[in-house]
Amino acid sequence: MPNPSRIPDASPPPDDNARARLTLARTWSYRLLSTVAIPMGSKDLDVELSGRLDALCAMLHEEPFTTAVVEQAGADLARLGHLGRDGLKCTAEVLGKGLLALPEFQPVERYAERVVLAMGALGAGFTAANTESVLTQQEVMQRSLLKAVRDANWNLRESEARFNEVVTSSTNGVLIVDLEGRLLRTNAATGDILGYAQEELVGVPLLDLIAPGFAEMLHNAMAELVDGAVERVSQSQRMVRKDGEVAQLTLTASLLRGADDAPAHFVVVVEDGTELALLQGELKRQSLHDVLTGLPNRQFFTTQLEIALRNADSEHGVTIFHLDLDAFGMVCNGFDGRVAERLLQHVTQRLEVLLAGEKAMIARLGGDEFGVLIENAAATPSIGVIMKSINDDLLEPAYVDGRGLAASVSAGVVHRPDPDWEPSEVLRAAERVLRKAKKGRRGQWELFHAGQDAEDRRNDAVAVEMPGAWENGEIVVRYRPVVRLGDGEIGGVEAVLHWDRPGAGPLEHDVCLELAEATGLILPLGEWLLRVAAGQSAWWRQRGQFDQPLVVRLTAHQSADADLVSRVVGALEETGLPSDRLMVSMPSRALPMADAADDFTVLDRIGVLTAIDDFGLGPRDLAWLSELPVRSVLVPPDLTRSQDARFAVLVPAVHESGVRICVDGVETADQAKWWTEEGADLAIGAHLGAPLDAGDFLKKI
Amino acid sequence: MTDDRNWVPQSVDVSVPSPARLYDYMLGGAHNFAVDRQMGAKIEHLMPHARSAARINRKFLGRAVRFMVDAGVRQFLDIGSGIPTVANVHEVAQAVAPECRVVYVDRDPVAVAHSELILAGNDRAAVLQADMRDPDSILNAGEVGRLLDFDQPIGLLMLFMVHWVPTEDDPWGLMKHYREALPSGSYLAITHLANDHDNEGVRAAATRLSQVGGEQAIERGKDEIAAFFGEFELVEPGLVRYAEWRSSGPGDISDDPTVNEIAYGSVGRKP
Repeated sequence: MPNPSRIPDASPPPDDNARARLTLARTWSYRLLSTVAIPMGSKDLDVELSGRLDALCAMLHEEPFTTAVVEQAGADLARLGHLGRDGLKCTAEVLGKGLLALPEFQPVERYAERVVLAMGALGAGFTAANTESVLTQQEVMQRSLLKAVRDANWNLRESEARFNEVVTSSTNGVLIVDLEGRLLRTNAATGDILGYAQEELVGVPLLDLIAPGFAEMLHNAMAELVDGAVERVSQSQRMVRKDGEVAQLTLTASLLRGADDAPAHFVVVVEDGTELALLQGELKRQSLHDVLTGLPNRQFFTTQLEIALRNADSEHGVTIFHLDLDAFGMVCNGFDGRVAERLLQHVTQRLEVLLAGEKAMIARLGGDEFGVLIENAAATPSIGVIMKSINDDLLEPAYVDGRGLAASVSAGVVHRPDPDWEPSEVLRAAERVLRKAKKGRRGQWELFHAGQDAEDRRNDAVAVEMPGAWENGEIVVRYRPVVRLGDGEIGGVEAVLHWDRPGAGPLEHDVCLELAEATGLILPLGEWLLRVAAGQSAWWRQRGQFDQPLVVRLTAHQSADADLVSRVVGALEETGLPSDRLMVSMPSRALPMADAADDFTVLDRIGVLTAIDDFGLGPRDLAWLSELPVRSVLVPPDLTRSQDARFAVLVPAVHESGVRICVDGVETADQAKWWTEEGADLAIGAHLGAPLDAGDFLKKI
Repeated sequence: MTDDRNWVPQSVDVSVPSPARLYDYMLGGAHNFAVDRQMGAKIEHLMPHARSAARINRKFLGRAVRFMVDAGVRQFLDIGSGIPTVANVHEVAQAVAPECRVVYVDRDPVAVAHSELILAGNDRAAVLQADMRDPDSILNAGEVGRLLDFDQPIGLLMLFMVHWVPTEDDPWGLMKHYREALPSGSYLAITHLANDHDNEGVRAAATRLSQVGGEQAIERGKDEIAAFFGEFELVEPGLVRYAEWRSSGPGDISDDPTVNEIAYGSVGRKP
């Protein structure tokens, strides 16, 4: 940086200086106000520029003189408003002449070099700041444009129309190409570029329009798009016009995905001008957003989730909701698709309103499923409160085509996931707990627990193995005694399942039932158990070895089975076991379901002994005793173990109804004694005999 | 479903210049696209002082808003606000009285989107996309209901706006509709192209604009413009050349008299 010679002190009187500067500042202010729009009145601007002029003069006097500070002053000047080129020009004119006329910068030849350097630096600083401001404004405009397009899109009903909005306003050719490479639609600009009428192009393979020798390159690029290897390809291409001429163009192809994230079609942009960048931005937006609701799609959500997981606030963390609209299938089946679409839009809107106070991202994950990512803050309500507010709100009917539709959502929630998790793991966890929440219920939510999840997954894996294991004979029927507490004699035999898993521990009856119940295998497996056990029982009876009743306990699923009665009758007929030698039980919670209670009565009429399982402190448990023909009740193991006096007081009432009480899960002599004293009639459990195979059971008794 | 965005949006077409963005260009802003700048350059060619005209109109806005704030107005409706950058209503008004509330209205979706970005975080200013020719859509809009109290005086600004309404669309009836909606003590500010000036550049530029899909600006006589104020009482100095209305300093008036005379402007008060 040049450093002009040191200037000797030769200051004129300060008053003259001040007056001269003030005059110069006013001139500067007047000229600027007459030239450019500045958000200031003339008095304010006089004061403002006076201060800046004083600072500039001080810089010119500074020893050593440096231009860097003047450059900074130039940048500051640019921030006064939209001064622009005209403002700089007028400033340079006023100051260039005016500074050298100030008494303090006399004689002129001493200061000329400094003033010239200063004007250059002022201009440089100003220009740099001005350029930056222009770029910033331009960027804001681009954002505004995209926002305008997006806002507009949200309000158009048809996704086609939405797309057209962008496409038709483009002077570039835009081609919608199906996955086989045939043109589905083109815009008018395409026709202009290639010389075809728009309708002539429908159905034409894109590659046929490419000049010989160039098609392979495009073909490969499109294959890469489908593989997901790249998001967008852009290549210089040659296309053949209708008149046979070859046009050199830039083709940019991208793959649009549908709401389910599956490839839907290609969009190929034929560049013809300057709007390409803009359009690409919009296409990218559309590929990351769901067209129906305007929400981010699963792909975008996953990316944002990844960022949020990484940057999660260590104190509050993030919460992920996987929401699912209850009974959406009914809406789809009951009304036309438009109603379903409107409902989705309604739910979208309500979610946006309800979560407006949170740093939240709402996405449509597909179908009737939404994802919500909340970056928690101190004031974020609890998950329960959020879910309640959502369901309370959605239960207010929304009017869609004159029909009031109320919705509810179920949710799987992952709260503060381990930051090391992959987004896909988090989403998978949320989805798993969602399935759990939805089991037979509506408007419920379930929170993800890491340990629980691992166990659920193991159980699922085992449940899936079960049909194969049954086929291979790994699952067998075992028998355990039902003992009379009064005299210790055997009053019956219960048939149970036993699964010897090779390479793993054996699984007992209760676990087997739970797994089979979860997969629906229980219906065939339960019938098989009944037939095998009835056959065994009939055999013992024929040979006079054992003639006490056989007990088979049904699950909830079996109890609600429409074919229950015919399955039981079939087993009895096939094995020849008399009906009064069979006792079946239904869990009390299953009795209100479907035909369970009716079937219970029918079984009694054909002579089968009937019992209620899981009998205890449920609100209707006692009522069933007077409403149904009950022979016995089975007290579940947890109640048996608890030796609950509140239940014990019911024993006389049960007996009064002519019903016998059997306690299940008796593990100790103590328990047996306590229940005997309380008046229980029968007992099952480890203390009284473990399940054995038929031969060992007979030997044991 | 309640949806206050039910309007069918004007298409977002950046291949056609927009008045809002052109105006920003004339004010030296960079909130515009190439197509706007090309049109701006053409207009400057036809009308060398076009930038001065925009600047002087913006200065009028500042004076009118400050006048209204001094008169006690704390809420403003600016129809045809364009891109609210330099010295706009909320800046001017809230600088004097921070409690002032402002609703901007424009038809250009990009200007509206831009305003939304600029105004994010200012809970006393909002923007609405609407057409001035549909006053009910403006007066009944959610933003207007939220921010403006129609029991208190309102400052209605329609600068360089009414001349876009063709005579067959009855701009006087339209303005009557607006005036009737305002409570007593409200103010109305209008600037409007005059028909008694010698600036042929303005006419050439207006014709040029209408040829590229813009609308034709209609020049009107002083009496016709005065009629837009109806029963409102014009404050001093009445209906005058827009540069001369309460001008106080150098930037308010152009050195070129042909720019100062292209439009009339005034502020009226509802009795």
